[in-house]
Amino acid sequence: MVEKEMAVQLKRLYVTPGKCIGCRTCELSCTFVHSTEVGRLRRSRVKVHDTGNETFIPVLCLQCEVAACVRACPVGALVRNETTGAIDVDEERCVRCLSCVVACPFGNMLHDEQAAMVVKCDVCGGNPACAMFCPTKALVYR
Amino acid sequence: MMRFASPSALKAQRTKLETRAAKVKREILICAGTGCLAGGSADVAEVFRTELKAAGMKIGVRMVIKETGCHGFCEQGPLVILMPEKIFYQKVKPSHVKKIVESTLKNGEVIERLLYKNPDTGERVETYDRIDFYAKQHRLVLRNIGRIDPQSIDDYIAAGGYAALPRALKMKPEKVIDEVAKSGLRGRGGGGFPTGRKWATCRKVEVHPRYVICNADEGDPGAFMDRSICEGDPHAVLEGMIICAHAVGSPKGYIYVREEYPLARQRLGIAIEQARTAGLLGENILGSGFDFDIEINRGGGAFVCGESSALMKSVAGEVGEPRAKYIHSVVKGLYDKPTVLNNVETFACVPYILDRGAKVFAAVGTKKSTGTKAFSLVGKVKNTGLVEVPMGISLREIIFGVGGGIIGDRPFKAVQTGGPSGGCLPESALDLPVDFDTLTDAGSMMGSGGMIVMDDRTCMVDVARYFVNFLVEESCGKCTPCREGLKQLLFILERICGGTGEPGDIERIDRLSSVLTDGSLCALGSSAANPVISTLKYFRDEYEAHIADRRCPGGVCKALITYSINDKCTGCTACVKVCAFDAISGKKKSRHKIHADKCTRCGACIYVCPDEAIEVH
Amino acid sequence: MGLISFSINGTAVSGAEGETVLTVARRAGIHIPTLCHHEAVEPSGACRLCMVEITHKDWKGWKGLVTACLYPIEHGLEVSTDNEAVRECRRNVLDLLLARCPNAPAIRDLAAEYGLKQTTLTVDEDPTNCILCGLCTRVCAEMGHHAISTVGRGVSKKIGLPLDEPAESCVGCAVCARICPTDAITFREDGKTRRIWGQNFELLRCSECGASHITRAQAEFICEREGMTIEDFEKCDACRSRETALAFSRMVQW
Repeated sequence: MVEKEMAVQLKRLYVTPGKCIGCRTCELSCTFVHSTEVGRLRRSRVKVHDTGNETFIPVLCLQCEVAACVRACPVGALVRNETTGAIDVDEERCVRCLSCVVACPFGNMLHDEQAAMVVKCDVCGGNPACAMFCPTKALVYR
Repeated sequence: MMRFASPSALKAQRTKLETRAAKVKREILICAGTGCLAGGSADVAEVFRTELKAAGMKIGVRMVIKETGCHGFCEQGPLVILMPEKIFYQKVKPSHVKKIVESTLKNGEVIERLLYKNPDTGERVETYDRIDFYAKQHRLVLRNIGRIDPQSIDDYIAAGGYAALPRALKMKPEKVIDEVAKSGLRGRGGGGFPTGRKWATCRKVEVHPRYVICNADEGDPGAFMDRSICEGDPHAVLEGMIICAHAVGSPKGYIYVREEYPLARQRLGIAIEQARTAGLLGENILGSGFDFDIEINRGGGAFVCGESSALMKSVAGEVGEPRAKYIHSVVKGLYDKPTVLNNVETFACVPYILDRGAKVFAAVGTKKSTGTKAFSLVGKVKNTGLVEVPMGISLREIIFGVGGGIIGDRPFKAVQTGGPSGGCLPESALDLPVDFDTLTDAGSMMGSGGMIVMDDRTCMVDVARYFVNFLVEESCGKCTPCREGLKQLLFILERICGGTGEPGDIERIDRLSSVLTDGSLCALGSSAANPVISTLKYFRDEYEAHIADRRCPGGVCKALITYSINDKCTGCTACVKVCAFDAISGKKKSRHKIHADKCTRCGACIYVCPDEAIEVH
Repeated sequence: MGLISFSINGTAVSGAEGETVLTVARRAGIHIPTLCHHEAVEPSGACRLCMVEITHKDWKGWKGLVTACLYPIEHGLEVSTDNEAVRECRRNVLDLLLARCPNAPAIRDLAAEYGLKQTTLTVDEDPTNCILCGLCTRVCAEMGHHAISTVGRGVSKKIGLPLDEPAESCVGCAVCARICPTDAITFREDGKTRRIWGQNFELLRCSECGASHITRAQAEFICEREGMTIEDFEKCDACRSRETALAFSRMVQW
């Protein structure tokens, strides 16, 4: 069973910044997919930055192999999801100490104060909405 | 003191000691239990030594003085027993000693006024075996207490001590467990769990090291059985623990002694040192290759530390809070290792069982509750003290037979057993046999052995309030039902005793009792409602009188009673003089009067009145 | 690996050796209310809200109430999470908590679910919101600080500091306040300082935008534990996200 898992290559979210037109559809879809109540929008885990010269760069969690967030967490609430390859927040274990938020060198851990939870990209459990809705294929999941 | 490298060396020493004991023509046994010590028995012993020396009588081989553990008849202390005649002198003062030496020791004359007076016949009784208090007991686990010097290992050996240990060490551990199981011994600390089964379960857990702990925290108010055993026969406890350690395979034992028992701790400490020197504790016990040592732990000063899981936390240096025992301590106990925890009296029974055999032990008592039980008989009973009776004896025989009945021959009202975890039983229950199961079925429990006798001048609601108040202070506070539930229960009971009971209070009490019993984390909480439940069951009318009529039938609750003086008054002014609140007026030879507005019902006047002229309404 | 099969409310469920009734129930989507439970710390069994009734065909009709958060699952166990006995026990527990904390919204909501609008017992004269579940102290220990603890015994038990003085080991992380089920622990912050448990803590502010998430003391604690330096915490997540974007944009242009 373990060997079969290893044979199947885990998909990854690939970013091609040159294709990004800054439409922020990814941010919108990410927000909607993760919100459970109408009108209560949770924060988007992908952030599109305008870096000038009509260049837009989407930044999202790199699911680092040796992750600073995992290292910083004192209670083991950040765990690798074996199916998606992403690092997930175990919401029942997280105590909101925010160590991960300050530890991530890329700023990809977010403190969602309204939801009273720490959130991050979880590749939507294996079917990332941002890639699904990106009109220019700047974000693809393969 | 010598070291025994083998069982035969121990046997040889025992023979030597028995021969020496046979040469003793006279023993002067002076009770040095805590009760008699408080009464001045240490001074009595001191004067004995001085007087005997002055009289030219040599203390040594033919005559010995022993300061022993508790004889049991604490009501009549300080006690002195002269052997071989078994002459029993009570309430002995240092000023009596010279006369005892002159009259009894030298001239063989008994001093009448120091003898026990039978309250029924008025006759003086010369020897203790003819005093009902002793004659009706069956002293098995207490057999050495009052006879041996607890600070002498030689005395213990000469009395037959450490005979069970070599026998047990020769047996396979499983066989030792079998023997204990066959004896039917059940835990004497209140739980009544079959001891053999506990040891067997522990042995089966393949985790090491395993621990043996003796629970000497004895927290029940009014209970002093364990204290007396630790003070009077500490080696019996040690021998029981060593045999247990061999049976379950443990290298380390602890005795958790409550902080309020300094004498017990001291005597146990001395016994441990003696046992170590004698090669009965430590490495290679009696040359058997078995290692076991014992350490004493001082209690944290909390009743809850008598609960086994809290005790183990306390031993480990943590705060003594219990844990849910869905996984038993025999599996995961001290430091999460398999641990056998037993009560002092339980361990003290073990050498007897291994020495005389399981059958002999089981021949006493009943089928499901074998052996004897030590009780501290206290309260409104004539003969208060430490008693040991066979299981199955009735409450009536204990209270009226051994205990001699109620003080002043007042009517019996109730008997409380089992401490704060137990309940009160009324007159209709007096013929119930005392054992592990019958009293529980009746709504109380035998518990660890505290037995408080109450007369008609007791308010049962006040009794319930007393125990709940005790537990409110002793609850560890971790779980909601116990911490909050007992607090609310106390509010209600105080209201009822204070005359402001409300309709709906009894229903509230029922709900609180239910959540305490079903919802508490440990046995302190789950048994906390027992005093209330049992008094409601048998004395509901008293609760209702307090709430509906603002009346206290027992004449106790100060807010609900008044005092008045009747025509038995002879005008002696004793009450006028003693009243601290100037509430009584009256001239000599004329009937006095109590002024209700000043009277606090403290009871001092009732205490001093020689004519029983003060009435409680 | 032997799976242990048992049933909850008549439904067959299973779990691994050592798991509790609560863990398996949650996995199966069966709701059991809790207050003092949190996955980050060991279960304590203090609040007594998660009571369930258990029985077993081998137990000769014996039934009992236990806390689901601590009871280890066993073969053939029959668990009831919502019968009359369970509901009555939970109602009584909530009645007690309501008397202690009449102003705590979480307790009032829970009590209302069990038919209690107000307590039937005597309300505390000076009520608190603290239900003494101990979550704050347990998580503070889990984080490695041990700054607060339960102090006192019985009715005088409270959550407190060592000798009632501000604790040296407190880093002002406010996890205790965040994890409290009844919001009984409060703190104040004004962008520069956070005041909690009697101490003022300097908030670590982003060198770029000034936003803050944690205190300097907490950052220093993480540095020491993980072998990082305080400079690693110089910027906030938003500014670092932007920095990452700028770095990528340079790569794209090149």
